[in-house]
Amino acid sequence: MNKVIVIGLDGFEPKIAEAMMARGELPNLQKVREQGGYARLGTTYSAQTPVAWSTYSTGTNPGGHGIFDFLSRDPKTYLPVMALSRYEQKNAFVLPKVVNMRRGTPFWDLLSARDVPSTILRVPCAYPPDQVKGRMLSGVGVPDLRGGFGTPTFYSTRKDLHADQSEKVIAVRVEGERVATQVIGPRDPKTKSDHKFDIQIQILRAENKIIISSQGQPDKLEVQLGKWSKWLKVRFKVGMMQSVAGIVRFNLRQIEPEFELYASPVNFETEEPLFPISHPKEYAHELAMKIGRYYTAGMAEDHDGLNLNRFDEAAYLDQCHIVMRERRRMMEYELGRFERGYFYCLYDTPDRLAHMFWRFREADHPSNRPHGYNVEFANAIEEHYRECDAIVGEALKAVDDETLFIVLSDHGMNSFRRGLNLNTWLYENGFLALKPGVQPGESGDFFQNVDWDNTKAFALGLGCIFLNLKGREANGILNAEAAEQTREQIVRGLSGLVDAERGAVAVRSVVRREQVYSGPYLEEAPDLLVNFSEGYRVSWDTPLGGVPQGLFADNHKRWGGDHVIDPALVPGVLFMNRKFRADSPNLVDLAPTILNVFGVPKNAEMEGSDLLS
Amino acid sequence: MNVLVLNFPGAERAALFTDERLENLRRLMDMGCFGALNAAGEWNVLARQENHTLTLMEYFQQADKLCVETTDPVTLREKLSVGDWDYLQYTAASYPAEAWSADDYRRLDRDLGEVLQELSDDTLITILGRDCFVLVSAVNPLSGEYSGGSACDIAPTLVQLAGFPLPSVTEGKSWVEGMELNNAAGLTADEQQILRDRLSGLGYI
Repeated sequence: MNKVIVIGLDGFEPKIAEAMMARGELPNLQKVREQGGYARLGTTYSAQTPVAWSTYSTGTNPGGHGIFDFLSRDPKTYLPVMALSRYEQKNAFVLPKVVNMRRGTPFWDLLSARDVPSTILRVPCAYPPDQVKGRMLSGVGVPDLRGGFGTPTFYSTRKDLHADQSEKVIAVRVEGERVATQVIGPRDPKTKSDHKFDIQIQILRAENKIIISSQGQPDKLEVQLGKWSKWLKVRFKVGMMQSVAGIVRFNLRQIEPEFELYASPVNFETEEPLFPISHPKEYAHELAMKIGRYYTAGMAEDHDGLNLNRFDEAAYLDQCHIVMRERRRMMEYELGRFERGYFYCLYDTPDRLAHMFWRFREADHPSNRPHGYNVEFANAIEEHYRECDAIVGEALKAVDDETLFIVLSDHGMNSFRRGLNLNTWLYENGFLALKPGVQPGESGDFFQNVDWDNTKAFALGLGCIFLNLKGREANGILNAEAAEQTREQIVRGLSGLVDAERGAVAVRSVVRREQVYSGPYLEEAPDLLVNFSEGYRVSWDTPLGGVPQGLFADNHKRWGGDHVIDPALVPGVLFMNRKFRADSPNLVDLAPTILNVFGVPKNAEMEGSDLLS
Repeated sequence: MNVLVLNFPGAERAALFTDERLENLRRLMDMGCFGALNAAGEWNVLARQENHTLTLMEYFQQADKLCVETTDPVTLREKLSVGDWDYLQYTAASYPAEAWSADDYRRLDRDLGEVLQELSDDTLITILGRDCFVLVSAVNPLSGEYSGGSACDIAPTLVQLAGFPLPSVTEGKSWVEGMELNNAAGLTADEQQILRDRLSGLGYI
């Protein structure tokens, strides 16, 4: 064999896929299965996109690549930090540099060293891109122009709206069927105000559309009611001498009685991205010239826009289709010229879509109470899986006798009905202290009002508990012996925790980091990991360090599906067109398997083994 | 405070300030001030005394500052990487004396990019062309375009920005005379807000 083609389907859930295959609804995946095989694929602690794909890339457990969660914490400040990449600035006169926090050696480095070329589209945690022999387009980890994972803007004539979470809300006035407003760009670190780009909107009521005029490209952009516009290239002047380009697209929510327009987060533009998003540097733009402009942000789908009801489910589905089409064109273009080596293309959408549509699988999902249930979407995930299957069919056309063909997901998907306030549990059990006179619910994000001098442990991220360790945390109080005691007490107290209101076990187990991790980055890992049961997760208030009232809360967000639970409950899928060892394959096995196709030996850190042998 | 002077006698304002590809230069222009210089006087002369011309470098030497003057790019690179200087004056001799091509300007920007990598935050950077200047420092209260300056104003301005007293008589006039200098720490950004921005839109939180 001289080719490996890998199609990644993020969050593709085996239980749904297996039921569909049994009904004959995924013919292409079924074909691969019959040629070779299918199995559920063991995922990582924890079962999250960046963690799992980093293990796929490096063939090591997270202790070997250093990505344990989307979020990590700075022990000096107790503040959450983005765990995937870091910006380092040598001095005030140079631009910051992005540093990838995924460490270890990805297997394509070993292929490059042996002259085997790779084409890698959107693998998570490769931002900035790896210097691979071949081509790479970065994926999850690439921010928008404001530096976040997605900062949208909502324009409305309503007076009673205010911004929620990360979005910007702009109150506008319609005068003579015209609206003058701005696209919001990056923050100016000096003045702390936002850079802006002027747009003029003309409303054409009779035709149910608007025209956006600007200095951008195109100079006139049409937006149909309820539809997504094409891309608008905008340019922000960030100084007298410098400007930054970006691309944005719009969704026209309504024209009357109120005017409401949604603008996506401003994505990096491919010709002049703020930071490199491809290798070689020009590759991202070469792709855009071939297939048209495309989403460059790691989180392409605007799940926040739907969560905040700035557009509806139908518009979100439309957007998912746009992202899928873009990605498919990229894949087709590259497979069209693929001759040998390693090819990878990730479709993120199965994950992002299932997060938002899971609630329609369960009429009694708590999220349906505030947002309503719509039976029309009950099979939205299945319908999307059929689209994924068609893409697999398209990729199969590039497969010949010399090709190992792999379809896999990094983890599965489950229901998220109830959230556990982990910090509140730590508070109620004497591990976390609040300042005198402060009660749970009176402490905001970022551990405001936490009394560190009396706190033994705190929770942050998606199920991580950290000890307040002397010599490590700024106000650490636990010595080594007390730390071990505290871990023991938390493991004992929290394992098997029952949600009394529902009469169900919420926490299956709590594990110490050294039970599941090993390697050079073990010291960066959370001290304890919480394994939730199906239907549970950490609450919305937990990841950024909130201590709300009460232990459990119903999940009332549209984001009604999740997978950050006991990894044993959310394996991924693995399809290969060759017979493979199907007894509990794991993500760590992929790197050795792929390397072996090219006769390249795995390195000493890689923990898995060739699934084909 | 370190003072770095990069002198490119062949570079001209008309090209230097208009080529959008000169990213490093433009970033510095946005961070500090820049403008045209009248040819009056010499930039490195601080004062003319009866029998003596006091240069900027001599003045810093008298104040016990470690001063280096070079036209050699290798020496410049060495000095920058070791950091054993308080005042470093480099005149680019490896460029054409005049009539620069677009490539020469781009080379300047590339070289500048390498120089910038080696600096500490408290450096006072001065870039001089035949008829123009760029001046960047955390303490510099001037920003944007500064017009009406003369070449001989550079030396007294640098002396004041570096925090030294001026001789009683100077050849040119300091542009920051009587102005309060910026607090160098004023450049740090609001960290918590940036943190929120960075984490926003993650979905899971």
